[in-house]
Formats: sequence, structure tokens, C-alpha cells
Amino acid sequence: MSAEAVSEGIPDIQALKRGDDSAFSDLVRFHHRTLMAVATAIVGIDDAEEVVQNAWIKAHKALPGFGGRSALRTWLTRIVINEARMLLRKSRREVSLQLDDDQHPLADRFREGGHWSKPPVTWHDESPDGLLMQSELADCLSRLLLSMPASQRAMLELRDAGGLEFDEICNELTISASNARVLLHRARTQLFKLVDHYQETGEC
Amino acid sequence: MLKCREVVHQADALLAGELSGRERFALRMHIIICRHCRRYVRQFRHLLRAIPRMHGQASENEVRRVMTALKNADKSMGGQP
Repeated sequence: MSAEAVSEGIPDIQALKRGDDSAFSDLVRFHHRTLMAVATAIVGIDDAEEVVQNAWIKAHKALPGFGGRSALRTWLTRIVINEARMLLRKSRREVSLQLDDDQHPLADRFREGGHWSKPPVTWHDESPDGLLMQSELADCLSRLLLSMPASQRAMLELRDAGGLEFDEICNELTISASNARVLLHRARTQLFKLVDHYQETGEC
Repeated sequence: MLKCREVVHQADALLAGELSGRERFALRMHIIICRHCRRYVRQFRHLLRAIPRMHGQASENEVRRVMTALKNADKSMGGQP
């Protein structure tokens, strides 16, 4: 297993299945924060740590049977969702993702006829790596996620960060496919708007 | 002719491969002549690829906490399968 493979988050499946501690630590290092974000979106910040910790224990036990049919991230996200749902059932809570009445995040960027009034600026380093390396931008993004309507954030974490398919999300949580798409679109365009503003002004 | 606003609304479906041939064609035609939308779709695509990694990696402390809890859970199982 090369150092680059580890830093890229490419897991050494064979080592994981053998129960290798250092391979599992790498797995935790690479996915833990995303799984925390997924759990937080469903059960709230107070219960997220317990949910994710239980999910890691389940994942550790189930790893030898991991078939590789889905990405590890997606497989882990499913385990987190199961744990989250168990906790919600125990505390008799329910999650339903509601459509909010917010207007489209980029609504003010278009003229009445539907053409851009304020088109996006050219981003200095638009590659995914370039975007991720700007630590101030990362801070801006985390703050935006916290202020986003919970339903939008849940969709973004489940679909884009966790890698779940729409069908699966709609089965697990009470939401229609069309509303799920609208929520995800709004969450993504909010991120776009933030990055665009940051690239233009250097501020959140 | 497709409006820029519609391009923004359809960009998600375009990148997910969910548009019909006809919708994709209309969008491509628009993008050829409109540099603003060309830029939007390109930068939007890069942003989507960054999202899975936007939460960053866990600190050594966080990793240790998970691994310790794992060990304790193993012990409390008392070697049961």
C-alpha cells in the first residue's frame, strides 16, 4: 500500500478484512468527519457521536463480509443511517425532510428574461483539489453548512458526501424523489454561490 | 432557445446523466454560445467533485477515540462471535 494511496483515501481492502488496525485507523481518518456530518444531519449534533461510534463498531465487525459492490464510503454511510434510525426509534423521534419556502439561491443573479445579470466569476483554481486546499474557503463552507436549512444539508451530506442514491434516501427518510432533488439542487447552488463570492472578494 | 436560468436548473441532471438526448442537445447548444453558462457548468462540476472531501480528515485524537471505543467494545463482547 503506497503512501499516496493512503492519503487519497484508497483503502487496502485486504488488510481491512484481515483486521489490520492501522488500515482501519486510515479508514476512520478518511471517513469519520463525513460520517459525523451525515449523522448530525439526521439526529442532530448531540447524538451524532454516539451514532457514528456505534456505526464504526458495526462496520468493524461486518468488514470481512464487505462485498465491494458499493464504495466503502457508501457502505459506511448506510451503517450510519441504520444506527441513526435505531436511535430515533428509541427516542420516538422522526425525521422528515421538508421543502422550505426559500427562494432559489441564485435567483438574484438573473434578469427577468432568464439571462445572467451577474454571471459567475472565473475561479482562480477551480480544480477540486484547488478548492479544497484553501483553508479559509473551507471555514466559510462549514459555516454555510451550519446555517443551511436542515433538510437541504441532509440531502447534500447523504447524496454528495455519503454517496447514497436518490432511491435509497427516499426509502430511508420520508421524502419524495422530486422534493429530494429540489433540496439537493438548492444546497449545491448555495455552495456554488459561496465559492463564487469567495473567489470574487476573498471573503465568506 | 434555453434560458441561462434553465441551464442552472438542469446542470445537476446533466452531470448525473439524467437528461434525455433532446434535453442534452439543447443544453449543449446553449453552452456552445454562452460562455457564462459554460463557466457555470464547468465550475459546478469541479465543486461537486470536491464535496465528498470537504469535511477533511479526522485528527489523530478523533481516530484514537474511535479505536479505543472499538477495543472496549471487543472486550465487552467477551470473545463472542
